[in-house]
Amino acid sequence: MGNFIKDRKPQDDPWTPYTGLEDVDNLPTGDVYVPFEEWQSQKEALKLRNNRLGVILENTDDVAELVPDFDRLDLVVLQFPKMADGRAFTQAKLLRERYGYTGEIRAVGDVLHDQVFYMQRCGFNAFEMRPDQDIPTVLHAFDEMTVTYQPSADEELPIWRR
Amino acid sequence: MTLQVYTASLLKEGLVAYLCIDTEGSYWSTDLNKAATAETDQAETLKSLAEQAERENIVIAAYAVDVELTENGTRPLENRERIRAYGPTITLPQSSDTKQAIVRAA
Amino acid sequence: MYQYSQDDHQLLQERVSQFRDQVSRRLKGDLSEDEFKQQRLRNGLYLQLHAYMLRVAVPYGLLSSEQMRTLAHIARTYDRGYGHFSTRQNIQYNWPKLEDVPKILDDLAAVEMHAIQTSGNCIRNTTSDPLAGVARDEIADPRPYCELIRQWSTFHPEFNFLPRKFKIAVSGAIHDRAAVAVHDIGIRLIKKDAGELGLEIYVGGGLGRTPMIGKLIRDFLPPHDMLTYLEAILRVYNKLGRRDNLYKARIKILVHETGEEKFRELVEAEWQEVKESKLRLRDEDIKNIQAHFKDPDYENLSDFDSDFDKELISDPDFAKWADNNLELHKQDGYRVVYLSLKSKNQPTGDVTADQMDAIADLADKYSHGAIRSTHRQNLVLSDVRLKDLHSLWGELKTLDLATPNYNHLTDIISCPGMDYCALATARSIPIAQALTERFDTYDYVNDLGDISLNISGCINACGHHHVANIGILGVNKKGVEVYQITLGGSAREDASIGKIIGPAFTADKIVQAIADLLDVYLENREDPEETFLTAYRRLGPAPFKEKLYG
Ligand code: SF4
Repeated sequence: MGNFIKDRKPQDDPWTPYTGLEDVDNLPTGDVYVPFEEWQSQKEALKLRNNRLGVILENTDDVAELVPDFDRLDLVVLQFPKMADGRAFTQAKLLRERYGYTGEIRAVGDVLHDQVFYMQRCGFNAFEMRPDQDIPTVLHAFDEMTVTYQPSADEELPIWRR
Repeated sequence: MTLQVYTASLLKEGLVAYLCIDTEGSYWSTDLNKAATAETDQAETLKSLAEQAERENIVIAAYAVDVELTENGTRPLENRERIRAYGPTITLPQSSDTKQAIVRAA
Repeated sequence: MYQYSQDDHQLLQERVSQFRDQVSRRLKGDLSEDEFKQQRLRNGLYLQLHAYMLRVAVPYGLLSSEQMRTLAHIARTYDRGYGHFSTRQNIQYNWPKLEDVPKILDDLAAVEMHAIQTSGNCIRNTTSDPLAGVARDEIADPRPYCELIRQWSTFHPEFNFLPRKFKIAVSGAIHDRAAVAVHDIGIRLIKKDAGELGLEIYVGGGLGRTPMIGKLIRDFLPPHDMLTYLEAILRVYNKLGRRDNLYKARIKILVHETGEEKFRELVEAEWQEVKESKLRLRDEDIKNIQAHFKDPDYENLSDFDSDFDKELISDPDFAKWADNNLELHKQDGYRVVYLSLKSKNQPTGDVTADQMDAIADLADKYSHGAIRSTHRQNLVLSDVRLKDLHSLWGELKTLDLATPNYNHLTDIISCPGMDYCALATARSIPIAQALTERFDTYDYVNDLGDISLNISGCINACGHHHVANIGILGVNKKGVEVYQITLGGSAREDASIGKIIGPAFTADKIVQAIADLLDVYLENREDPEETFLTAYRRLGPAPFKEKLYG
């Protein structure tokens, strides 16, 4: 088992990232996720496949554009190009809360022990941890804090209304 | 050519320290006068020892400081480094019963 | 004061354990310095010139006597016997050891204090009017709104890795004592003629390299919409704020580059999406928090006290202090008392552990156990009876906390500068001390009247020099510390950014230069009622320039 955590458990990752998407017929078999740009240009062809589909967004992509395809998207991958870049938190939160996406939201990039708590609160449920992270200790990080103040993907009401 | 020492902050204490070398090897001291000096072009050994100490989590943020040797000991050329070495230039407030020892290089 | 709930307590305890674990991972080497830095900063721990520095949050400037005693205990036990009150109303310790920090946090948590989000690129401790709840010119008490912002912003999952730090200030009075115009978001509570309460929202103020006055982007927001509106602003900022250049990452640059109008549209559009969300405050949400900030049991007193009046006449030193360091109180028979942290014997804003303990005792004895810190780096006892003022003054004098200089020339704001700060380009405390030494005559300082002089040791401007009537910025010119003067700044409701008057002065010339500027003012003011700032605005820089540079 590698560095992948989903729903708080270490798991094997069934997905294959795919970037060189000239020809839809040449895609690897199984579940693949493709860059947003490719998704937009090829999605009709992609949707004919018999496998699950996902998409990986840049931090500047607007998650609202995925809404019409939610029923065919099982995975949305969001990136942390470096630890300090927090744009994907907003992307995840909007996907889950505003647009009601129920599939997998995955964090990739600089995904570290001390951020997963915030990530899960924003709606991430899958994490490709950076290879140097110690998975057993990371699993504790989800519960390091149990008190939260804000409404978020994991909590409907602010603390003063609970 | 300028004379240099290597300085950093001790990870645990945060205090300013200087890389020193004696017969048994290298160590870090808050006393600038004990610091190992080297000409700029020969400071490679100091540099690699300092970097090693960073990797070993003994110190953080190591870098070279230009110094001169005076009658009163090693003296950094820049004001900022002199303040780092000798402490704040102002009279510090005093309170009774303070437990933390005030250890500074003279 | 806000009383912690069981949840609040638990949150602090969990945070301390989390930080203890982060420290131990760091000491074991499991966490690299780069990554630990992100974590320690979010808990107020910097690495400064000589040592670590721990910044402890004083939420919107409110402290109880018990908390003050804990701060004294920490200063003695883990530090070198003193602390420093900053322009963010927080307190900083200059010498803690990393391995002691979890213990310090334990002690703080026991009295409902912490260092959460006092640094790092997240929403910082909210600041406010140090006279909140007692000011005679108050429109509405800002503290409940500050507390709601504290809860909303603490560990906000979405906004903990912003492009840059984010500071919010709230003021509820006619006079702005919280410098709202120079915050990322400034909020002023106002009332319409009909008495309806609302918020003015300013965005994009700030100092540093590119000083800017905040833009009014909402002129009357219903209080119930405060948090949804903040959420909308922060979301726009988190999405669009620049991350490519540290110096352009603050929201002021985003507002500036986007344009005020367009920025407002973006915020309003986002707000439409969230305004009806669960974050919208209901009447009872506001009332429940307001209940934490009830008045103490004031006695029914007259605003005339014959003993006080006699003391003023019989004791001229007391009268001088009473003249400058008191403020009217909304309750008759009470005054607000400024404790000056600007004595000539101690660096600006510094307080020893002994003083802290004594201040705690005085607060218990004279002011319902409550203490406030101000953004001008003083302390306040907010509820002192007229009849107690003389004895309080006597005790403050022995503690060296009664310099009668509030809002006067020697009430200098000064950042720590190069005596402590790793980013500094010059020292600031010695300059503040030299000025205080030179202008140590009450009559002269009093004659100058209301004036502000602020000093920063580098362009980051923690000493708020841009918004002082007279600002001093220390820079490094070829290895020599030199000091640049700006004139005409203000941090109040008439906020403005000071302008550089000319070439910088060396440390030995700066005090005389300031004396010369003051001469120009004294010679040219229309009457003693005309303040330095008003005179400067009327005269323009020319006569001042002329005097300094011929
Ligand atoms: S203004 Fe500069 S020198 Fe002063 S405290 Fe801030 S960063 Fe340090």
